[in-house]
Amino acid sequence: MIRSLVLKDLLIEIKSKEIISSMIAFGISVILLFAFSFRASPSQVYFFAPGLLWMIFIFISIILLNRIFNLEMENKSYEILFSSPLDKSTIFLSKCISSLIFLIFSQIIITPIFFLFLQINFPENLLFFLIIIFFVDLGICSIGSIISGSIMKIRSNEILLPILFFPMITPLIISAVKSTDLIFNNHPFVDWKIWFQLILSFSVIFLFSGYLLYPHVTNE
Amino acid sequence: MSSEIKFFHQNIYSKLFGLLIIFSWLILNYFVLFVTRIDPYQEMAQKIFYFHVPSAWVAGIAYLVVMISGINYLRTKNNYWDYVGYASAEIGTIFCALVLITGPIWATPIWGTSWSWEPRLTTVLIMFLIYLGYFSVRNFGKSLTTIKSISASIGVLAFLNVPIIYFSVKFWAEEVQLHPQPEMMEQPVDIYYTFLFSLIVFFMIYMYLLNYRIHILKIKSKLENILEDY
Repeated sequence: MIRSLVLKDLLIEIKSKEIISSMIAFGISVILLFAFSFRASPSQVYFFAPGLLWMIFIFISIILLNRIFNLEMENKSYEILFSSPLDKSTIFLSKCISSLIFLIFSQIIITPIFFLFLQINFPENLLFFLIIIFFVDLGICSIGSIISGSIMKIRSNEILLPILFFPMITPLIISAVKSTDLIFNNHPFVDWKIWFQLILSFSVIFLFSGYLLYPHVTNE
Repeated sequence: MSSEIKFFHQNIYSKLFGLLIIFSWLILNYFVLFVTRIDPYQEMAQKIFYFHVPSAWVAGIAYLVVMISGINYLRTKNNYWDYVGYASAEIGTIFCALVLITGPIWATPIWGTSWSWEPRLTTVLIMFLIYLGYFSVRNFGKSLTTIKSISASIGVLAFLNVPIIYFSVKFWAEEVQLHPQPEMMEQPVDIYYTFLFSLIVFFMIYMYLLNYRIHILKIKSKLENILEDY
C-alpha cells in the first residue's frame, strides 16, 4: 500500500514538476549568494563548507515539507485519503519515503553545483559522505513529516513549519555538520562514530514516534 | 450553567495554599540571604543557585508533565489532559526563561562571559524555542480539536528530543564544559537543607500555578461552550 501511495506522489511530481524544480532553483540561488558572500576569502570557504551545505539542505527541505502535505489540500484530496480504510501510519510512512526520494534527488543535483561554485574539492570518502547524507535526510524527513502532516490543516502552516522544525532538528544538524566536517578532512570512522550514532538514533526515534503518533494526531 | 463557575480563590484550600507559598517564599529568602554561608570563591553570586537550580528542575518536571498529559490526551481525547498539558507548558516555559535569565547573571562574574555553549544551558534554550513554536500552534489554531492533538504530539516529540539535544551539544563543545557539578550530599548542612527547601517551595509554586491555570482553562472552555449555544 505504501508503494502505491509513494507512486502517486511521484506521478504527481513527474506531471507537475513543481516541488523538485523549485527546490533546485532555490538551492542554486542560495549557493550563488553564498559564493558571492565568500568571494573575498576563498581559502576560508573550505572551513565553513559543511555548515553552508547543510544550511542549503535545510532550506530546500522546508520547501519540500511545506509542499508534500499541502499537495493533499488541493481539491480536498486529503478528505478522500483520510477517510479511506488505510492505516494512518501508512500515510505517514509513504509521505516520509516520497519526501526522502525528492530530497535525495534534488541533493544529487545541488551538491556538485555547490562544490563547483564554491571551488571546493569533492570529498575523497564519497561513500561515507553519502551514508551520512542519507541518514540525516531520513531524520529530516521523519520529523518533518510528523510536523508538516500534523499542522497541514492549520492556517498559515507555511510560517509555523520552520518555527517548529528548526529547533527540533538542532541535534541532527550539529551531528551532520560535525561528521561532514570530519569526513571532508579525511578523518577515520572512529572519529565521527559518535556523530553517526546520534544521527542514527535521532532518525530511528522520530521515525518510530511518528509512526505511533501520527494516527492519533489526525484522528478526530 | 454560569452559577457553576467559581473563582479560584473562593476555594479555601487554594487560598490557604497560596498563603503558605507566600510565607515559605519569605522564609526561603531569609535563609538564602542571612543563614547560609557565603561561598569563599563566588561570594554573593553563589546565592542565585538557590533560584536557578530549582527553576531548572521545575522546568524539567513541567515538560515531563506536558509529555505525559500529551500521551494521555492522544489516547483518551479527554479535555482534562489538554488543560494539564497546556498549563504545564506555559509554566515550564516561564521557568525556562527564569533559568535563561539567572544563568547569565551568575555566569557574568564567575565565567567572565554571559553565554557559553554549555550543554545544559543550550538544551534549555532549545527547549524554550521549541515551546515558543508550541504556543504559536496554539495561537494560529482554528479548529480546537486539531490544535489540541497537534500540541500534544509536539509536547511528546519535544521531550523525546531532550537527551539527543543534550548529548549532541555535549560532544559538540567539549571544551566549554564549565557547568558546575556539585555533589549535593557533600555540601554543608545549611546549604543542603536550604537547597532542599528551595526545591520544595518552587515545586509548590508550580503546583499552585498549574491548578490555577487548569481552573482558568476550564472556565474558558465553559464560556466558549456557552457562547456557541447562543
